[in-house]
This record gives sequence, structure tokens and C-alpha cells, in this order.
Amino acid sequence: MAIGVESNRRFVIAAIIVVFFVAVIFKLFYIQVINKSYKFSADNNVLRYITQYPARGLIFDRYGNPLVVNKPVYDILMVKKQVQSFDTVEFASLLGLTVEQVREAFVLAQKQKGYSPRKAVVLLKQIPPESFARFQEKIYKFHGFEVQPRTVRSYNMPIAAHLFGYVGEVDETVIKSDPYYQQADYIGISGIECSYEKYLRGKKGVKIFMVDVHNRIKASYEQGRYDSVAVPGKSITSTIDAKLQEYGERLMQNKIGSIVAIEPRTGEVLAMISSPSYNPELLVGRDRAANFRSLQQDTLKPIFNRSIMALYPPGSTFKVVNALIGLQEGVLTPETRYSCHGGYTVGRGVGCHIHPSPTNLIQSIQVSCNTYYCYVFRNIIDKKEFGSVENGFSVWKRHVESFGYGNKLNIDLPHELKGIVPSVAFYNKYFRKGGWNSLTIISLAIGQGELSVTPLQMANLASIIANRGYYITPHVVKKIEGLSIDTIYRERHTTTIDPKYFVYIIEGMDLAVNGAPGSGSTARIAALPDIKICGKTGTAQNPHGADHSVFFAFAPKDDPKIAISVYVENAGFGATWAAPIASLMIEKYLKDSISRPFLEQYVLQGNLLDRRAKKK
Amino acid sequence: MGVLFERYLKGDRVIWLLVMFLFFASLLLIYSSSSSLAFRYHDGNTSYFLIKQAAFLLMGFAIIWFVHLVHYNIWSGLSNLLLGLSIPLLGFTLLFGRNLNAASRWLEIPGLGITIQSSDFAKIALVIYVAKVLSQRQKEIKDFNQLFIPLILPIGLICALILPANFSTAALLGLTCWLMMLVGRVNLKYLLGYSGLGLLLVGLFIVAALHFNFGGRAQTWVNRIENFVSNDEKNDGNYQLEQSKIAIATGGIIGKGPGRSTQRNFLPHPYSDFIYAIIIEEYGVFGGVVIMIFYLILLYRAGLLVKRATRTFPAFLAFGLALLLTLQAFVNMAVATGVIPVTGQPLPLVSLGGSSLMFSSLAIGIILSVSRHQGKKELFEGEEVPVEEAKEKI
Repeated sequence: MAIGVESNRRFVIAAIIVVFFVAVIFKLFYIQVINKSYKFSADNNVLRYITQYPARGLIFDRYGNPLVVNKPVYDILMVKKQVQSFDTVEFASLLGLTVEQVREAFVLAQKQKGYSPRKAVVLLKQIPPESFARFQEKIYKFHGFEVQPRTVRSYNMPIAAHLFGYVGEVDETVIKSDPYYQQADYIGISGIECSYEKYLRGKKGVKIFMVDVHNRIKASYEQGRYDSVAVPGKSITSTIDAKLQEYGERLMQNKIGSIVAIEPRTGEVLAMISSPSYNPELLVGRDRAANFRSLQQDTLKPIFNRSIMALYPPGSTFKVVNALIGLQEGVLTPETRYSCHGGYTVGRGVGCHIHPSPTNLIQSIQVSCNTYYCYVFRNIIDKKEFGSVENGFSVWKRHVESFGYGNKLNIDLPHELKGIVPSVAFYNKYFRKGGWNSLTIISLAIGQGELSVTPLQMANLASIIANRGYYITPHVVKKIEGLSIDTIYRERHTTTIDPKYFVYIIEGMDLAVNGAPGSGSTARIAALPDIKICGKTGTAQNPHGADHSVFFAFAPKDDPKIAISVYVENAGFGATWAAPIASLMIEKYLKDSISRPFLEQYVLQGNLLDRRAKKK
Repeated sequence: MGVLFERYLKGDRVIWLLVMFLFFASLLLIYSSSSSLAFRYHDGNTSYFLIKQAAFLLMGFAIIWFVHLVHYNIWSGLSNLLLGLSIPLLGFTLLFGRNLNAASRWLEIPGLGITIQSSDFAKIALVIYVAKVLSQRQKEIKDFNQLFIPLILPIGLICALILPANFSTAALLGLTCWLMMLVGRVNLKYLLGYSGLGLLLVGLFIVAALHFNFGGRAQTWVNRIENFVSNDEKNDGNYQLEQSKIAIATGGIIGKGPGRSTQRNFLPHPYSDFIYAIIIEEYGVFGGVVIMIFYLILLYRAGLLVKRATRTFPAFLAFGLALLLTLQAFVNMAVATGVIPVTGQPLPLVSLGGSSLMFSSLAIGIILSVSRHQGKKELFEGEEVPVEEAKEKI
């Protein structure tokens, strides 16, 4: 070292330089490789992405009548930096709002996530075309406001609110879990809108613009090479018969309950009524939130889709299932006769109404004899070959579940419930192991007790019987524009029961409706002169008040075109309300006219809402 | 080419090549990064700054060439004069200079229409002076008090005059002088003692400035350091840094290519204080590291000069000046990458700006002059202590 710098001093200088060098290199590595956030902000700096919202797909009824369509609305955006002082009163009145609403919107807009005074942010949402037209003429007066056209739902008939469902803005959780969605996007929240969201939503497009430092648009980015056009959503043809649906909703007015009608051959749902319902228009537009809140607070729960979410005891309708299991297991023959004198008297006993006695199988269905089914049920469970109550019960449960009970049918609607079929484990826990037998659970014989089904499952039972032993999973969508529906809606599900046994059930259900006067037929009120309806009433005891009126049926007998279930809550006997409603529905669907105006009037005028509170 | 080189460009060839490369890089970068400035002040005439910078670079080249022909000993003779000149110059600038962002750094030279940053002048003057004193007083500087008058007082005074307007330049100059003294065999104990004292005084100044609200910049320093520590996004200092990091992040390994920076439109001063971010955006980490290595080579070549030197003055002089440039370059890079708080140091020889370029050229010229004369082994009858003799004293 020529000038004799001590080596440790030289080292100090080298160290300072090395520290700088390493620090800068490390920082470069950190910014480029480890921290990703700067890359994203880079694009945001120069490019502005303007979403092109597609129109949602339309929804038609089964005959191609458009039911759910779109109407234009306008979101008003603002760029705070460019807003100059303006006449708030005029602004508000043009848009059909109050000054307070506008002021509030200004405050809220500036609080929203990602707010920037230089970016266009949504100030007012879903301004209807009439107000917008007024505003547009004067928009030159208001600087810093932009317009974003969007479409919202519009309904040609105020029906099937539960079935179609509604559309709303996506929430945070969806945005996080699905990269397609961004803030302010719409998404189907219930019904078909939800289950077919992927098809209905279409594909958003984007226009990319270059912006300057102040976020003002300068030009299209790369002459629009990376822009994409919005692709409108696919239209959907539902299986619904709009006229039938509307008629059903009319029949169910002022009643609580549900109607589900299915075409047995295809599993297509013809009508799905949940009452009380609401006008689907209520959940569109600027008042959506307020309307939703008031619907939610309604004690009659109009938003609740009873067709697939209400759990009712099946009541006497379940007797046909027990009869079929009995036949299959060989503990019952069509000729088996039991006499009934006011009820089954073993144990706590089960009461019965007055009817001709004794009855064979067909008659037992015709007159809905409780006693008969207590024998049948106990014979199944206690069948010697099974060895134990638990085994017997398991066999019975397996048969019951093959009818689609106790599990979701997998209809193409969200939030379907699976109903309840109790299990051995349940009883072992509820009583104790060995602490129960066929007598303990005798209520199951007549469709009471620990058994719950949805109206959809009940209609599906009608479908199974109409088909003599199989069903196609019920579904509400027939066609998706250019695409076929899921193959699960074409497959047959066969029950564990031999088809040959269904004949007796059908005969019984025929007689229940069309039996001679005085023969004890339970549903003569439902009979039609020229169409053979096969049906079965039910009167479901429940802890919520008076019995539910239940009826399920299919028609015509020899070439079933419609299978139907009707539940009317707290309405008493199955024959009083549910059977006439089902009968009118069948006539409406098959003949498109009503031959019994008196019956129709009777149903339409029936107001059963006040019965709800009263205990039996 | 080789012949031309031989004939006209004397001295360390590596440094010559380095300078030419940096000048070329400067031209490319300024052309790209000055576009927003061009739109703001010259109706989008983007070649305005290209031509202007080209003129500056030619001038810089001329300065280097002339200075490298001059024997370095002339600076030894001029050092007292230059230092004496810089003190009133700094004082005058502080009081009457052009005010940019509450920082009085610029002085307009009457008649010429150019402004110079008087601290650029003072930096070089001080380094020359310190090199001279260190080489002359090798024998004497073992004493605490003897150290004070000839070295600590001028260094302290110059730094103190720069400090109110430009903290980072004062700190950089202080560090350079400190390292020169370290190399110049000043007793480490005294050195640490004085630097402790210096830091204390600076601290007192900042506290006083904040308290009595006179130093317009003190609040800015505190803010910038707070920004750096707290990472609050809303502040201006952080806006610069955010945009700079975006530039770096999008540059990648090989960059977007010459003239393809987008961040130049968002970064304040992309042509000076944040030019390093643009280098990385356009030329990638590769380009960034190459530029960085160039400054290291400059320092290394100066180190070689020191190693081969037979006399202390040219050795200290070349080393001090190279250190000044390199440290400034590193501060610029460290700011752009967010290693240290935001401060405005141009990248020497590359950033836009006449004043910095002229004086950086002067420094390069002097270094080249040292290297040019080193080979000749001439003896100079000065007060210098020959190296061998100095070595014995240690």
C-alpha cells in the first residue's frame, strides 16, 4: 500500500460502499420479486378499465312466453375533482329525488371503498329511464358527472317470485371467493337467478382507456385491441306454465302453504307456488333494500320458499308408501283385510274416523283408514326375517328413502331442504337402545311423528305413483339457449318397490276421488266428470296450530300428465281446501277452463290467514 | 480511434470510457424522462431537453478535457482561494438565492442566465482544500487542537452553510471529508470526538429550527424521516417513493426498453433525483446494476491511483473527489429504491442539470489529471511530504 493507509481504515471505506451496494440490490430484489403490490398499481396508474355490463339472460315459461326481462336503468357516477358548484335542488328534482337524498349520496359516495376524488365513483344507483331522460337534457349544467347504463330485471307477470329469485349486488365474500365478480356487479341471489347465475350473467366486457396523471381519459388503449365486448347472458326456458302458476297463486291467496305440480314423465315442474308470495318487482330498483327489509319482517315470511324449504308431516298421504313397502316385503297382500272400529287399540292407540269396515288394501286407501296402516306398519317392522326392530326399521327406512324422502331431490334451485326420515341411531338416542319397538313409533304408520317432507317431495311421490315406480329429478329449467340441461334431470330413479304393486295404490287413489257416494271416499270433492284424478288426502297434525290440509294427486289416471301436491297450513281436513285446489289446478292445466265456478269461488274467497294463531 | 485516444485523451482510459458511457446513457435517459417537463414548459417539444442536455454534456466534456490537461498541483495552489470564495458564495446564496421549495440553493450568475448550485462549487473546493491540508500536515495532525483550525473549522463551516438549505449535501460532504481524514491518518479518537461534536451541533440546530421556526427545511426533514419510518401513504414524500417503486417493480430484469417508461409521467423529477428508477424501468435490474458498477469502477480506479501514488496530495485529491461522486450516486440510488428517506441528490454525470454536471465534470477532470501525471513520476517542489517519509511517521 503505497501511501500507507492502514488496512483496517481501508476496510471501513470498503464496508461503507458494500453496505450501500448490498442495501440497494436487496431493495431492488424486494421490490421486484417479493412485494407484488407495485406491479398492480403500475397498471392502475395509466389505464382505466371501464366495465361493460352485459344484459342478463331472459327467462321464458315452458311455452316461450318471456316472463323475466330486462329494463334499462342508469347509475350516476361522479368525479369529485371535476364537480363544480351546482344547483342541488335542480339536480335532485331532475332525478326525482329529495335534496337530502342527494346530499346523503354525496357523503356515502365519498366513504366507499377505493374512493378517489379523481376517479369516477358511483353516486346514485339505478335511476329509472324517466328520471334519467329529464336529467340527461340538463346534464351539461352539471360538471363532473358521468352515466353508466345498466340493466335490471323487469317482470311481465308478477308471479313466481320464489322460483325466479332476485338479483342483487355482490357482497364482499363473493368478491373474495370468485375472481369474476367485482364491486357493484349484480348476482342472482335466490331461485333460478342463483342456480343458473353462470349462464344468465353473460360475460362482462371491458374498455381500456389511457388516463393522464389526473385520471382523465385521453384515448383508447392500443386502439382498443385489448377491449372486450360484453356478451349477453343466455336465455333460459323454464318448465313453468305461466298461466297455471298464476292461477295457483290466485287460488292460494290469503292462504299459507304451497302447491307443486310436476309433469311425471319428465320431472318438469309445471308450477311451484309458495304462499304468501310477493311481487318480484319489489326487489328491483332503488327501493329494493327497503322492500326487502319489510318483506323480511313480515310474520308470514313471504320470502321463505315453502315449496322446497317448509318441512311438513306428510300425514295420511304417507299411507300409500307404507302400503307399497308392505306389499314389497310380503307382509301385505291386496286381499289383506283389517277391521276398524274407531281406531287401533294396542298401546296408546291411534284413533280413526267412521268408515265402512273391514277394508281391504284398496279400500283402506279409499277411506284412509288409520287402523289398517298401524297393522301394516307393525308387520313390516316386526317381520320375523329381520330378526330385530332395528333391522326391520332399517329396511323400512331404506324403502322410504328410495322415494326421495329424507334427502335432497336436487332440484335446480338453491336452498332445498332434505326433510326428515328418522334413523335407528335417532331412536336409540331418543329412547334408549332396545327401549323402542314398532308400537313406540306407530305414528310413522300414518305419516306423523318424526317424519317431515317438503311439498316438492310430496309432489314427487305423486309423480312416482303416476309413473308406477320411478321419478325423474324435478327441475325448473327446460332449456338453456344453445346448451342442454344437466343429464341428472334425464335419469330415472327407481324405487325399491316392484312396479306391479303400484296398480293397487292407483286403484285406491282413484276410488278415494271417484268412489261412489256413501262408500267412504275421502276426496270426492276433487272429482271431475271427464278426467280421472287419482288422489289421496292428508290431514297433518302439527305443533303450530290446526291441522294442515294436504292432498296429492295425479291425472289422468291412465296417461298421467300432471302430478301435484297441495299443502294449506292450518286449514283442517285434506278434503276441505287442499283437494279442491288440486282439482282446480289439474283442470286448469289439462283443459284450460274451469267447469266448476262455484268451487273456484269457494277457494278464492277462502281466507285462512286468521286460523294460524288458533290452536286446535 | 486508439490513436486519437492516445493523442488527445490522456490519463486513465477506463475512466474516460466510463465517462463517455455515462454521458451517452444520460442522453438517452434525459430524452425519455424529460417528456413531461417538455410538455409542461415547451409545448411538447421533446427534443428541447435532448438538445439542451447534449449541449451540457459537450460542455462537460470540454471541461474534463481542459482540466485533465492542467497539472493537478494548480489546485493545491488555488485551494485557499477557492475555499475563501465559497464561503461568501454560500452565505450569499443562503440569504438571496433563488428559492425552490423553501431551499435556497441556487445562485444566478449575472449576465449568463445560468444558475449554479453554490454547494456544488463548495463541495469541490472543500475536498481540494482537505486533500491539501492532509498532505501538508502529515506530521502535525496528531494533536487534537492542531487539527481544529486547519481542518475541522473549514469543514464545519462549509457544511454548516450548506446545511440549512440542503441537509443531504452537507451530510454527504461531511462524510466524504470524514473518510478522507480517515485515510489521511488522522487519529481515530480525535476524529470520532469531532464527529460526535458535529452530530450534536446538527441535532441542536434541528431542534432549534423546529422550535423557533426559522429553518424552513427543518420541518421537511422531520416529515421525510417520519414518512420513511411510518410508511404513511398520503404524504408527498411517499408518493414519490411509491411511484419510484412502481417503476422499479415493472422494470423487471431487462426492463421495458429505451424510452418506454410510463412512470416518468407520474414521478416528480424523473430526470434528476429519481432517474435511477427510470433506469431500472427502462433497462431493468441489469441496467441498474451496470450503472452501479460503473460508479464502483470509478472509485476502484481512484483507489488504484492512491495505491500507485508517490505523493499524498494527488492521492487524497483523486480519492476524495471519486468518493464524493460515488457516495452521491449511491445516495441517489438508495433514495430511488427507498433504502433511505427521500432527499434530492442528482445522479452525477447522468441527471439533467447544468450545475451538477459541470462540477462533476470538473471533479472527473481533476481525477484524470492526477492519473495523467502519475505515470510521469515527476517530483514537485512543494511542501508535500513524500509518501515514504510519511509512512515512517505512522
